[in-house]
Amino acid sequence: MREPIKYLFIWPAFLVVLLIGLFPLIYSLTISFQSARLVPPRPPRFIGFDNYAALLGEERFWQVITTTSGIVFSSVMVQYVIGFAVALALFSRVPGERLFRVVFLFPMLMAPIAVALVGRMLFHSTVGPVNHFFTVLGFPNLPFLTDANWALGTIVAVEVWQWTPFVILLMLAGLQSLPRDVYEAASLENATPWQQFWGITFPMLLPISAAVVFIRIIESFKIIDTVFVLTGGGPGISTETLTLYAYQEGFKKFNLGYTSALSFLFLIVVIVIGVVYLAVLRPHLEKRA
Amino acid sequence: MMKRPLVFGLCLFWALVTLFPLYWTFVTSLKPPTAVNGGPTYIPYVDFMPTLQAYIDAFSGIRGDFINPFINSALIAVSATALSVTFGTMAAYALVRFEFRIRLGSGLIFAAVAIGGFLLFNETFGFSRAQAMGLAFLAALPACLIANRLPLPGPILGNKDVLFWFVSQRMFPPIVTAFALFLLYSEIGKEGFKLLDSYLGMVLCYTAFSIPIVVWLMRDFLATLPVEIEEAALVDDVPRLRIFFEIVVPMARPGLIATSLITLAFIWNEFLFSLLLTTSNWQTLPILLAGQNSYRGDEWWAISVAAMFGIAPMIVVAMLLAKLMRSGLTLGGIR
Repeated sequence: MREPIKYLFIWPAFLVVLLIGLFPLIYSLTISFQSARLVPPRPPRFIGFDNYAALLGEERFWQVITTTSGIVFSSVMVQYVIGFAVALALFSRVPGERLFRVVFLFPMLMAPIAVALVGRMLFHSTVGPVNHFFTVLGFPNLPFLTDANWALGTIVAVEVWQWTPFVILLMLAGLQSLPRDVYEAASLENATPWQQFWGITFPMLLPISAAVVFIRIIESFKIIDTVFVLTGGGPGISTETLTLYAYQEGFKKFNLGYTSALSFLFLIVVIVIGVVYLAVLRPHLEKRA
Repeated sequence: MMKRPLVFGLCLFWALVTLFPLYWTFVTSLKPPTAVNGGPTYIPYVDFMPTLQAYIDAFSGIRGDFINPFINSALIAVSATALSVTFGTMAAYALVRFEFRIRLGSGLIFAAVAIGGFLLFNETFGFSRAQAMGLAFLAALPACLIANRLPLPGPILGNKDVLFWFVSQRMFPPIVTAFALFLLYSEIGKEGFKLLDSYLGMVLCYTAFSIPIVVWLMRDFLATLPVEIEEAALVDDVPRLRIFFEIVVPMARPGLIATSLITLAFIWNEFLFSLLLTTSNWQTLPILLAGQNSYRGDEWWAISVAAMFGIAPMIVVAMLLAKLMRSGLTLGGIR
């Protein structure tokens, strides 16, 4: 079909995304090879890969990557396990399934900033109900937001609270698309529910599982809102994530070239993780197909 | 299959985990200060006497301006949603009904001419950065359009790749584009055209970043629509644009509404772009919420009111979405 009208349909979207989403990258890419500062103002000077080299040599950069990956992988893992379990439970027609579904929509539609504010309130060391709960059980007041390890755990908990519903909804959709007759055959063979799960359900849902986990990993790597409010990256820089680090460099120190270089390194990190993830999973997915 | 009470218990447990923080926020927003500072209190009228004082304080403005960020957020979110759903749905329609063939080489030429042109205009000819960016874009666009008609070597990309190009924008860490956009906006600002901290600047950036989601969701949805009615209309020589607006759009209404709601929620909740691109006049609600944290100290009743401002519209959106899903809507596999 040679219809010139098709361009009228695609060009507005294409132009906006190209002009606003992609084109500015050209400027920040060139500036990442320059030394440029706003405060104190320093005229841009070409310095090659110096910004990149400096970043790769900086201990803080690697710590931030470790922290971010730690938060991402542990929270996505927990989200997947709980989400899958709840999806299975919902699928077996529990009473009130409709109501549960509405409830599970709430967290993912809420601003992460608001969620983090609520989290701060819940995990507060004296007036928060979570600490109250633990003291009732006989624990001392726990430093949820002021100790490095506890703070990381709290961030993971908040992430899990907000994004497990996403896993639930998608896994539920996957479960509903499974063919019935396989299960009927399995019951004839007297397969236990446990065997049915590992023999049928899990392998057949592997493609959608892979997609869900992939989306969650990519999205989680962007994390800044939750950390910004919950800990501000502290104590020290123990909970600082990549995006937060870039923000600090760009808007506290106004180190433009350095921040641009950092953001492109971040892009590379995400691409590497995505490629490795797909490479690891591909043989498993193709075997099933 | 599994033990019933156990299964129900699991659902109930997670529902309670989900609802408790919402309940807590709502209840805290009704607490007088004494009911907060004395340690956790749980049930209104039993543990404490509820009061609307925190809401009255918020509306009277003695606790900072809530109304303006709320209106800003609403204006920006609604405008950007309208634009991105319109553009995105048109693009999704084009990707479903027409065939596109784009040479990879022309994309590379675009990148090369754009970067080279920017450096050339800026460094050699002494244009300002914003002017050089504009000129580079005007040079790169025709260059790649012409290149697309030439028999260049290299692979030819189809509709799937165009779709991937759109969706891949969502995989970018937003700080990459947000920071680049901040630099560009401030350069354009030096030319006397204000985009930082402006309505236009915010709507443009949110439109650009919502279009990929819209294209992704709407493409799946439009692909399920029957093609026969459109073909019948084509035989009668009805122009494509009329077919789109008078036949396709009405048929796609449930999908359009759901996509709009999701886009609206996405923009309403977005934090990073607003943090980087606004300073005072056009600050959105998430920025106000983040600020609560630092200068409001432990006034949790006031903070809860602020959080309620952000949450309440999204609860409505969630209810509407749930209703749509119940009536059998499928969206990108989400039922």
